[in-house]
Amino acid sequence: MVTWIAKNAPAITIWCAALSTFAIYSVLYAENRFYRFFEHIFIGLATGYGVYATWAQILGPKWWDPMVKQGQWYWAFAAVVGSMFYFMYSRKHAWISRVIFGLFMGLAAGGMFREFYELYFPQIGSSMKPIAGHGMSVWDSLNVVVFYVILLACMSYFFFSFDHKNAATKKTAAAGRWFLMIGFGAIFGATVMGRMTLFIGRFNFLINDWGPQVKIAWATLPFKIVIGLAVVWLIVALIRRTKPPKAKIAIEE
Amino acid sequence: MNIFTRLQTIDRRVLYLLIALVITVPLLVRPGRHPRVKFNEVRNAYKTISNVPKDKLVIISITWGPGTTAENGPQTEVMMRHLFQRGVKFAVVSWDQAGNELSYEIGKKLEKEMGKKYGVDWVHLGYRVYYPQVVFRGMAQNFQKVMEYDKFHTPLSKLPAVSGVKTSKDIGAVIEITPSGTLELWIAYFNGPYRIPLIYCPTAVMAAEAYPYIDSGQINGMLNGVIGAAQYEALIGMQNAKTDAAATSWALSAAHIFIILLIVVGNLGYLATKRAARGGNGGGR
Repeated sequence: MVTWIAKNAPAITIWCAALSTFAIYSVLYAENRFYRFFEHIFIGLATGYGVYATWAQILGPKWWDPMVKQGQWYWAFAAVVGSMFYFMYSRKHAWISRVIFGLFMGLAAGGMFREFYELYFPQIGSSMKPIAGHGMSVWDSLNVVVFYVILLACMSYFFFSFDHKNAATKKTAAAGRWFLMIGFGAIFGATVMGRMTLFIGRFNFLINDWGPQVKIAWATLPFKIVIGLAVVWLIVALIRRTKPPKAKIAIEE
Repeated sequence: MNIFTRLQTIDRRVLYLLIALVITVPLLVRPGRHPRVKFNEVRNAYKTISNVPKDKLVIISITWGPGTTAENGPQTEVMMRHLFQRGVKFAVVSWDQAGNELSYEIGKKLEKEMGKKYGVDWVHLGYRVYYPQVVFRGMAQNFQKVMEYDKFHTPLSKLPAVSGVKTSKDIGAVIEITPSGTLELWIAYFNGPYRIPLIYCPTAVMAAEAYPYIDSGQINGMLNGVIGAAQYEALIGMQNAKTDAAATSWALSAAHIFIILLIVVGNLGYLATKRAARGGNGGGR
């Protein structure tokens, strides 16, 4: 059995992946137990693999081995510090977890200063573009003018310190809102493209990886019987689903 | 119920089926022709990688997993292929547990195809905990001490591809391949402070938000989803190769045209129904 599995491992992998794909996409038809079952398998697998990878690649070589095999006993303190997080579940000793949470919050807050400087300062600088000269063509200048109009309009939309009663600020802010909506539209369009690509990726797998495996399996009689039974079961399930439920007659006394 | 009312009440499952049929054709045919248009950000990515000195290491950062293989897989493959073509050594580091295996498989496939050798031409540093504030800075200051060993626990000093890498000065570029918002952390803690070129390969969902960083020069180039990967393939001389990226870009174009058609038809139905209802109520103003 083990030898057979080892010999056919690539084919088994492809069949399992195809079955999982059909199970997950079956939710597009309707919520069903097949989908739920595979959803739980996926969560279990991901968690199990996550624990294995974390131990094999990180905790084993970086913490356990130096502590146990190389005599670096002081790594035991890392476990003590790490376990401080779990005191958040105790009302009495929750203060212990706050110490470590505070430490991490301080670290993150300190990092934010650097992030802000590195991320936004170059962008502020690059927003101050020359309109003409510097070897710029007419189109380059027009591009910069469009950039400034949109920048100022969008910024005026976010002036909340005063009411937009003045016609100029009101209209500029309204234009800013339109520009923002166009920007969000572009992001949404890209999102559709991304989601469609993921769908295409799965279809590509079914057609170009699973398809040849089906062709091989189709040559065997047991496979034809299994497929025949599956088709019959599917038809029966669909008929039972579309059949209207029998009307219940309420008998009133 | 007239045709326009029917158009608005099409079962969504019918639409799913139609979209599936539309994308099936290009995937079955698998045309090899790649997109003729190349975005500026893709050209810049190509130029950046083409200018990396051969004695410097390129880091390929993997933050993707099985969920986005369709987009990030072809991006990873094309970037590795270009580096192998040029003979520039690279190290793959995965911040995602499953991405660790997936990226290694891609590397192994290309290694075999292009006659390269693990440890000499490339290495895989395995899965690492994603704590950029510490790891990125440490990597820039003392690469050997922070990264220590590869995926198979071989010390870096025994791997010729990375044994000479000491600090950020030995790193020629970073390629970040991701479906998440990890770009800012590379800019803040690695590429910004140490002035190392950064190529960003996001999923299409994330790409729109990255354009301000391209404009300001904080990113040197970008591959926008699988379309970016297909364009890059054309740049490295694969314009007629039957790849997943090319087939996907054709399927994507077909799906987009179909979706636009559905939007137009749906809106026509909506307007016609509205006009008919107005007519029924006494007609217009």
